[in-house]
Parts: sequence; structure tokens; C-alpha cells
Amino acid sequence: MHDRFRLIRALTRPRIAIFLIAVPGMLHFLFFKYYPLLGNVIAFQNYDLFRGIWHSEWVGLEHFIRMFDYGEFILILRNTLLIGIYQLAFGFPAPLLLALLINEVRVKWFKQTAQSVLYLPHFLSWIIVGSMFIELLAPEGPLNALLVQWFRIEPVYFMTEPVYFRSILVSVGIWKAVGWGTIIYLAAMAGINPSLYEAAVMDGANRWRQMTAITLPALTPAIVVLFLLNVGHLLDKNVEQMLVFLNPLVRDVGEVIDTYVYRVGLIGAQFSYTTAIGIFKSVVGLVLVVSLNQMSKKMTGETIY
Amino acid sequence: MPAFKSDRLFHALNHAMFVALGLIMLLPMVHLLALSLSSSRFIQFNEVYLWPKGFNLAGYEYIVGQERLWRAMGVSIYITVVGTAIALFFTLTLAYALSRSYMPGKGLILKLILVTFIFPVAMIPYFLVVKQLHLLDTLWSLMLPNALGAWYVFITKTFFQGLSNELFEAGRIDGCNEYALFWRIALPMSLPVIATIGLFYAVNQWNAYFDAIIFIRDQHMYPIQMLVREIAVVGNMTDNMEDFSRVAGEVSQKQVIAGVILFASFPIMLVYPFLQKYFVKGAMLGSLKE
Repeated sequence: MHDRFRLIRALTRPRIAIFLIAVPGMLHFLFFKYYPLLGNVIAFQNYDLFRGIWHSEWVGLEHFIRMFDYGEFILILRNTLLIGIYQLAFGFPAPLLLALLINEVRVKWFKQTAQSVLYLPHFLSWIIVGSMFIELLAPEGPLNALLVQWFRIEPVYFMTEPVYFRSILVSVGIWKAVGWGTIIYLAAMAGINPSLYEAAVMDGANRWRQMTAITLPALTPAIVVLFLLNVGHLLDKNVEQMLVFLNPLVRDVGEVIDTYVYRVGLIGAQFSYTTAIGIFKSVVGLVLVVSLNQMSKKMTGETIY
Repeated sequence: MPAFKSDRLFHALNHAMFVALGLIMLLPMVHLLALSLSSSRFIQFNEVYLWPKGFNLAGYEYIVGQERLWRAMGVSIYITVVGTAIALFFTLTLAYALSRSYMPGKGLILKLILVTFIFPVAMIPYFLVVKQLHLLDTLWSLMLPNALGAWYVFITKTFFQGLSNELFEAGRIDGCNEYALFWRIALPMSLPVIATIGLFYAVNQWNAYFDAIIFIRDQHMYPIQMLVREIAVVGNMTDNMEDFSRVAGEVSQKQVIAGVILFASFPIMLVYPFLQKYFVKGAMLGSLKE
């Protein structure tokens, strides 16, 4: 009897109670985010699904050596880097530019309508967006129909020509994300004191000068943080996007680390090898994030953490 | 503000650009709509652009009659509603606890959560963990692993921190224990953040398909995105070939594919106008936290 009251009283003590409230969430993080880290150990084994971790043989660094010995990984790494850099070069400035332009729109209803329309692609799944563009760019699709009509050329197989693949990938990615990406910048811009602009106008600053002297500096923290996050994820391609567009004909230019891990690791059941690749990717990501963060701290004082 | 000539020009160009951009965002769907309502005669010769030619509803008749499409839609609705509820449970409890200054280990836990934000989980271990939990080929695998996102925890925590302390003090004086404080005071006040975070989770749940690809084998459990993928991307129009050729006379494959894509986006398009402002507010909240 006494013990039961003791227990209840213990459970209702503030620090214990609040901790208990947090337990489900913490367990979730532990299980789904941290426990998988232990699974990385299979990169040093020849993991056999049926034998499990404890009974699969150990092979040390064999998989890591294999990664660099075989040309295929270098190819995939190259694709991943190139696509990542394209996305960074075009996809990073795009929302910023768009946000700056949206900011200049004075007509309220127009601004709001435009924004509503621009946000829409973000809410469509990659399946939907991907299938849409596959249809649009198909040899029997409208774009080719227009090209054939106006320029009298043969239909272009956009989706299966390696030379177009990366550009299409990045462009569609921008199409989907640019509108939504402006939000962060618009939020920052909303925080700028309007009297700064008024003072600038009185001093005779034109639109361009206002932008460079007031708006951009105010956006710098957001720009830097987003840039750091983006570069840290340079090797992380959006699997959902890639899987829709990837087809055997463009594999040489389009296969990235994540799709390779999916295809060879999950479907091909080469768990250990692809886990080793995953470790490599994480390490590179870690190095990128930490070093860029340090650099950023020195140069601009902004950091992610 | 003085309207200089160059100012007017700039605004004209800017507005024009936005109109063009808006069209670029919308026209693909308009094209799909036209395709889904056109007859195969015109589709065959690529004559359909933005307006249906040979208007017919046969495509949609076929789609509406496909039981598996409705089932997939049902699966998606289920995993979205239940999945969001699960996500809200985990997020709200954790974020609330982390918002209280007396939470033991708060600093460390926050740092650990931040780490997961910067580094995503590797695919293979992720798969193996779900497998180990015997969740493969169950709907739980689509709802449980992605039920917590670091970003959402941070936003919610910030919200809870903003709640006035007096209310909690009053509650304590009235004899509430911590659980009651959470359930009776904090939660009812957090409807705005519940709406916002809930919507974000819901949209993610609705659109996600990669988890379904790697975890689900049973076709009966395919969410709608998986089914659309089967039909529109992989090209399997039916599970039994005869079914389609019977209808094929009147209905072209493209018409059906376009219709299926629109069918799958219909729910999102439906709720988008109403919920858009919540999304935007939520995103702004999230970005300001930075």
C-alpha cells in the first residue's frame, strides 16, 4: 500500500514526470535515428540476412577498398558531385532572386495570387511531378510536338538522352522548389525595418542600391545558413526525385550514390558494400559541414550550430 | 513614392515575369487535364495542348471503376490521418518536455536531435532496423519511422516556450501535476502549432513514396503514390492485361495515365486553397527560428 503511493508520488515529481513525457519521443529518436548507426558495422562484414550481424563473417576494409578499385563507384561519385554542384549553382540563387523580385511587387492581390501559384508545385509529390514532366517531354508529348511543328526537326528523346538528363533534373527540381524556397527569405525581409528604406530613398538611393545596401545584408544570415545546409547535403540526392527520372539509358550520367545504394544494396542485396558507401558519404558530409561551419564562423560569424 | 519612368518599366516587366512564371507552374497540370479529357484520335497525333479535343469522360469512367485506385486512395488517407496523429503524439510530447527549463538532460538531448537534422540516416541500416522490428510489409512501416522530424520538434518547442508561464503557475497552485499541466493547459493552447505541424506531416505523408517502395510488397497496401508510380512511371497499366484492352478501344493509355495522375493530386488540390496560409505561416515560423 505504502509502496504504491511511493511510486505514484515519485512519478509525479516534476522532473521525473517531464522526463517521462519526453520518453516516447526520445525512444523514437534512439530507435530510428541512432540505433541504425550501429547497423553500419555491417560495412566491415559480408552481411548475410539469414545469419544476422552476429554470425556474418568479418572482412575488414575489403568493401572500402573495392569502392575505389572498381570504376563504377568513381563514376557514381562524379555524377553525384556534378548534379549536386549544378543544383547548388542554379537552385540556390533561384529562390533568393525570386524572393527579391516578389518583394518588389506592390500590388497586394497580385503578390498573394502569384505566391499561391508559385507554392503549389511544392505540394505535389515527385511521382506526380515526375510523371507530368515525363509526359511533357516525351517524344509524343507537347514540347516535341511544338518543336517538330516550328523547327521541323525530329522529336528529341529528352528523358533518355544522357546529354539532357542533368539539366532536366535540375530544372524540374527548381520548378518544384523555387516558390516554396522564397518563404524563408521573405520572412527575413519582413523583419527589415521599413524606415531604413525610407531613409535610403531620401538619400537618393535607387532600387538597386536599396537592395544591395539594405535587403541583402539583412538576408545574409539566412543565406549563409541555407548555403551551409545545402553544401553539407551535397552528396545527398533526393531519392524520390531521382527514382522517377532515372532510366537505364541515362544511368551513366544519372546514377547517384543514393540510387546506387537502393538498386545494388536493397534490391541487389549487397548490404555490406552499399553500407560502406553510405559510411563514406556520411563522412564526407560530416567533413563538409564541419569545415564549412568553421570557415563560415571566421568569415561571417554565422553557423548552423 | 515618385513614379519614374524606369520604375514603371520595372514594375511592368516584373509583373509580366510573374505572370509567365505562374503559367509555367500551372500549365503542366492544365495539359494533363486536357489530355485526360481528350479522345485517343487526337492524342495519337499529339494535337492536345491545353484544351481537350474530342471531349469525353471515358477516361475518368475507367478510373472511377478501378477498385485498386480507390483502395490505394484509402490506404493513403489512412496512413496520412493516423500517421499524422502518431507524429503529433511524438512531437508534442517531446517538444513540450524540452520546452520546460527543468527537463533533465535538456541541453544534451537538443544537441543530439540537432545532429540528426544535419545527417540523415543511411538507407541500408534504416531498412534493416525496420526489418528487425518486423514492420516490413505493414502500414506501420509507413507511419512510424518518419513520425518525428527534428525541424518540427524545434518549431513546436519554440511555440511551447512562448506560452505564458502564469498559466502554468496557476495550474500548479491548483494542484495540477506535470501530466495535467501538459494535457489540460499546454495542449489546448497549442492548436495553432498542432494545425501547422500537423499539416506539414500530413502533406509529407501523402506525398511520400520511397518508404513504400522499400517496405511494402503487397499490392493491396500500396498508397496512391505507389500505384500512380506503377501506372504512370513503370507503365503497368493493370494487373491483368485483358482488363485494359477491353476498354482500350475508346480510351487511350495516355488519357488514363493523365487522369490517374490528376486523380492522385485531387485531394491535395482540394485542400490547398484553404490550408495554404497555415503552411506559409508555419514555414515562416520555422525559418525565423533560425
